[in-house]
Amino acid sequence: MTSHSPASRGAGRGGGLRARWRRGRNSPPSKLRRRAGAAVRLVAALMLAGGVYTFLAPSVQAQEDVALSTAAQQGKEIFDNSCITCHGRNAQGIEGRGPSLIGVGSASVEFQVESGRMPMVRQEAQAERKAPMFNAEDTQKLAAYIQELGGGPQIPSGPLTHDMDADPEALSRGGELFRLNCTSCHGFGGGGGALSSGKFAPSLTDVSERDIYAAMLSGPQNMPVFGDNQLTPDQKRDIITYITGQLQDGGDPGGFNLGRFGPITEGLAIFLVGITALVFTCLWIAGKS
Amino acid sequence: MKRRKLDIGAVPGNVARGADERLQVATPLRSLLNKVFPDHWSFLLGEIALFSFVVLLLTGVFLTLFFDPSMKEVVYDGSYTALRGTEMSAAYASTLDISFDVRGGLIMRQMHHWAALMFMASIVIHMFRVFFTGAFRKPRETNWVIGVTLFFMGFFAGFTGYSIPDDGLSGTGLRIASAIMLSMPVIGSWLSSSIFGGEFPGMLIIPRFFIAHVLIIPAVLLGLIAAHLGLVFSQKHTQWPGPGRTNENVVGERMFPRYAMKQGGFFMAVFGVIAFMAGAFQINPIWLFGPYRASEVSSASQPDWYVMFMDGLVRLMPAWAIEIPIGDGYVIPPMFWPAGVLLGVLAVLPMTYPAIEARLTGDKKIHNLLERPRDNPPRTALGMMAISFFIIATISGGNDVVADKFHISLNAMTWVGRIGLLVVPPIAYWVTYRICLGLQQHDREVLAHGVETGIIRRLPDGRFIEVHQPLAAPDEHGHTHLEYTGWVVPKKMNRVGALAPAIKGFFFPIEKPSEAPVSPGHPPVDPAAKREEVGSSH
Amino acid sequence: MSTKTPSTEAVDINDPKLSRFEIIREGARRDDIEIVHYEPQFAPGSKAEKRMVRIVAGFFLITGVASLAFLGIFIFWPWEYEFGAYTASKFYTPLLGVTLGIALLGIGFGILTWAKKLLPHEISVQDRHVGTNADEQKLTGETALYMLDELGLKRRPLLKGAIGLGLAPVAVVAAAPLIGGLIKDPHGDERQSMFKTGFNADYNDGKLVRLVREDGSPVRPEDVSAGGQITVFPGISHGATNEWADSPTLLIHLRANDAAKAAEAADADEINKGAYYGPYVAFSKICSHAGCPASLYEQQTNRLLCPCHQSQFLIIDNARPIFGPAHRRLAMLPIEVDAEGFFVAKADYKEAVGPDFWERP
Repeated sequence: MTSHSPASRGAGRGGGLRARWRRGRNSPPSKLRRRAGAAVRLVAALMLAGGVYTFLAPSVQAQEDVALSTAAQQGKEIFDNSCITCHGRNAQGIEGRGPSLIGVGSASVEFQVESGRMPMVRQEAQAERKAPMFNAEDTQKLAAYIQELGGGPQIPSGPLTHDMDADPEALSRGGELFRLNCTSCHGFGGGGGALSSGKFAPSLTDVSERDIYAAMLSGPQNMPVFGDNQLTPDQKRDIITYITGQLQDGGDPGGFNLGRFGPITEGLAIFLVGITALVFTCLWIAGKS
Repeated sequence: MKRRKLDIGAVPGNVARGADERLQVATPLRSLLNKVFPDHWSFLLGEIALFSFVVLLLTGVFLTLFFDPSMKEVVYDGSYTALRGTEMSAAYASTLDISFDVRGGLIMRQMHHWAALMFMASIVIHMFRVFFTGAFRKPRETNWVIGVTLFFMGFFAGFTGYSIPDDGLSGTGLRIASAIMLSMPVIGSWLSSSIFGGEFPGMLIIPRFFIAHVLIIPAVLLGLIAAHLGLVFSQKHTQWPGPGRTNENVVGERMFPRYAMKQGGFFMAVFGVIAFMAGAFQINPIWLFGPYRASEVSSASQPDWYVMFMDGLVRLMPAWAIEIPIGDGYVIPPMFWPAGVLLGVLAVLPMTYPAIEARLTGDKKIHNLLERPRDNPPRTALGMMAISFFIIATISGGNDVVADKFHISLNAMTWVGRIGLLVVPPIAYWVTYRICLGLQQHDREVLAHGVETGIIRRLPDGRFIEVHQPLAAPDEHGHTHLEYTGWVVPKKMNRVGALAPAIKGFFFPIEKPSEAPVSPGHPPVDPAAKREEVGSSH
Repeated sequence: MSTKTPSTEAVDINDPKLSRFEIIREGARRDDIEIVHYEPQFAPGSKAEKRMVRIVAGFFLITGVASLAFLGIFIFWPWEYEFGAYTASKFYTPLLGVTLGIALLGIGFGILTWAKKLLPHEISVQDRHVGTNADEQKLTGETALYMLDELGLKRRPLLKGAIGLGLAPVAVVAAAPLIGGLIKDPHGDERQSMFKTGFNADYNDGKLVRLVREDGSPVRPEDVSAGGQITVFPGISHGATNEWADSPTLLIHLRANDAAKAAEAADADEINKGAYYGPYVAFSKICSHAGCPASLYEQQTNRLLCPCHQSQFLIIDNARPIFGPAHRRLAMLPIEVDAEGFFVAKADYKEAVGPDFWERP
């Protein structure tokens, strides 16, 4: 399994360097070129240092290799290919690039990788949801690796929603919890909302049960963590039951829901549909033909 | 007893005669039936508001039959599963019952809400029409003031209606309303505590708002609407300038039968559009908002669109407070400026605009003829300035949704609004002014040189010119001296009768274009079957 | 103008030779209306006219069908709410709206087409009677002035004074019960509610008030994970209801390095000194701007955003406002852990909670 993104990114960077180099040859040595040269030397020195370190400290790695299960071992391979650039060797994190993943648990890995947020394409205000890069199997392997490496919260096995027939009250309990803990960012209709400076709470309209559970457990990005002591696994199931049962699949008894954005789209609709239709009617009534 | 034979045909006549003997209605009734109304599409916009109001009354009465304006805590046990067992106020529970446990209740609720949005939207559109055509000038200043008051009464009617279901969104709105009251210098806390009957939210606000919403405000609205229409009747409608139209007459149709029938049909159309929207689009799904809790809120909390401009101004206001270091210290919070001062200005300024304009222009004449927007560039430009201000404020009222859906930073949206509010209106003024002058200029050009024919002629010296068809006999310089009357100037050949008339029909032709060969020399064949001077064929 | 046309001078409306239209014209003339153009749009019985009649009839028939559909749906369609996505009842309201809309639009456009196409075109000119009648003004004005003079207020100064002093209070009497009954002193009640919240020990028989969840269960430090936040209420009776609308509080467990910064900032502040408990801080959830729950907590940037007007507060700097219209920070609740290991408020908020008002210090 190789990742496309780092490879292509590397190719792009290489092209850029080559182009710059060529430009440099045609023109007399510039300040820019001198600075680029310095950077290249610095990178080379760092790589050398890294190589020496790896060479000198192989025992740490060897020890962990022993402890890992087969799945985790495969996960580690994926990690070393696709994640290590930002999260560093043994998921220790790299200052300014990616956080340490020690202790985040498999829940976090599943959420980030399954929803395509990780690997990130570039550093930005917030990782965007996109098509996942790894299939479910590889995600599980990665998750197993991070879990065995540093422990942390895990998505429990078994159903993540309540059976509405056996426990019809779950829906209203979940709604109650949803409105207290979730709506402030994700909105009454689960359509998401804006946060400060370009960050946002994503829409919940097509999010899977596992993703919701993992997000509550791990607090991805700016979302607060809702640990099991705060919202018990049962309460989390209540909330998921409400989100999937009512918000996603509950339907709208009053017609098209206008995106559930609230009064702003209703205001737009009254002008674009209602007033427009009636102004055309006026034009026709008073028209000469 | 001798039974007289009943002559059915004579009954209406006899009844009418009997009525007139008692009530003496014949003369006033005839003058009513005969009243002449000018016909133009823009004169129908106010009717949308009137008809929406009727729909509001009809649906509103239905809703009061089921609504319980009480803040007493109850436990919901209705059909809507996702709230069963939840504690909520009786007001919210009964609104849920209207939505789910009354047959056809949801459609009534949605019609009521859409009609409210329609009412306010048509008031605003109608107001624009009146403003841009100068219809507010003497003698109609009073009616303009009534109209502005109607907007603000509608604003309060809407806000109270938005508040009384006591759902999560309406409670948030009430909280902000209470903060606006609190922000008033000196009297703030007294005002809020008097209206809420103590500290927010208390137990009284829903019943109080209910009575304001169903009795006080509708009564005032009814009175104002009656006065508004009465003045339109007694002052007679304004009309556009044009052939045969003067400041002293009204050219149009008598009220009966055609005009009144059109009005009746239009009422049904407005009603129909509202009903259609109420079925097609879900509005204010209170069941998702949950009962109001002081600790719960939703992202993208906004008021209805006609309050959004105020919310937008509050959002854009920088955090400027005035602290007065006397004693324990007093404060005028930032909220006071947009929600107190600016709202007051936005209410008073439009009301006094007719007086301001009359003072500035020194115009004390009576105006029954309208002005086209282009013919009064300063006014039109001012109007566009106000509209751009209103639109920016309104968009800012939902700037978090815009930021989220178009992936713009929320903080950037706020700054765009702050800067835009100051920069865009002057630009709108300047651009509008230039456009008005340009349009005027074009009209004058046609009056002076004639209509562009599309015929290009090459002169002996090699130049190309377009041939113009003068609208009257030109003088020796090729100029016609026609008066600029402020009405539509023909700009296409078929408008001066030189070509076949434009094809009739609104979207699709309802007749075949005239097949007779046409040229400027031969007027087209008239498609009408026969012309009578004044017919009495019925 | 129209009345001055010579032909209108003498029309005997009882003249049997007059057609009905001529009588109508005469009626209009007496209302200063001249019917200058009155012409049917289609020749009676023409093809075009018949077509229009068919269109109007068609509209009315559409109404009939749609109305029957509306009634049928209203009565027979399953209307009671059922849980689930595409149950039949979800279409009840849309179907009602659409059929009603079609029915009403059918009538509307039927009538409109009828009026617009089948009734004769008409142009009438009515006189406006602009200008005022000076004689009338004088007559009315004199009458009004005379009535005023007859009261003789000028000659009878005592009455003038008596009206001012004696009758003016009556106007107030009318207003007093209406408005006076509403007035309520915001600082009058013994709870002093504008400056106190449910975390005040006075409401808990002098005992420190616990921080509890919405269901009343107390909160332990380990209940909130690092990077987590929880909405807490005063642990008194009805503490989580709207009766205590100013009390909802956000308890936040900061990450270690953020906690250090927050503690440093709090200790540097006179009021917030020592109000935190380890990495736990508690701030009022009620926005200092308009009172919405400012609860959009961003755990990495430690900003708290209010969804109503986008004020942003920096939690690790005493919840200082850093963006938007709010100008004062959120009040901090001093917290500690009691003997049983549950969070309690050491004291009530030291600053007034909620939106600003004039006399708030």
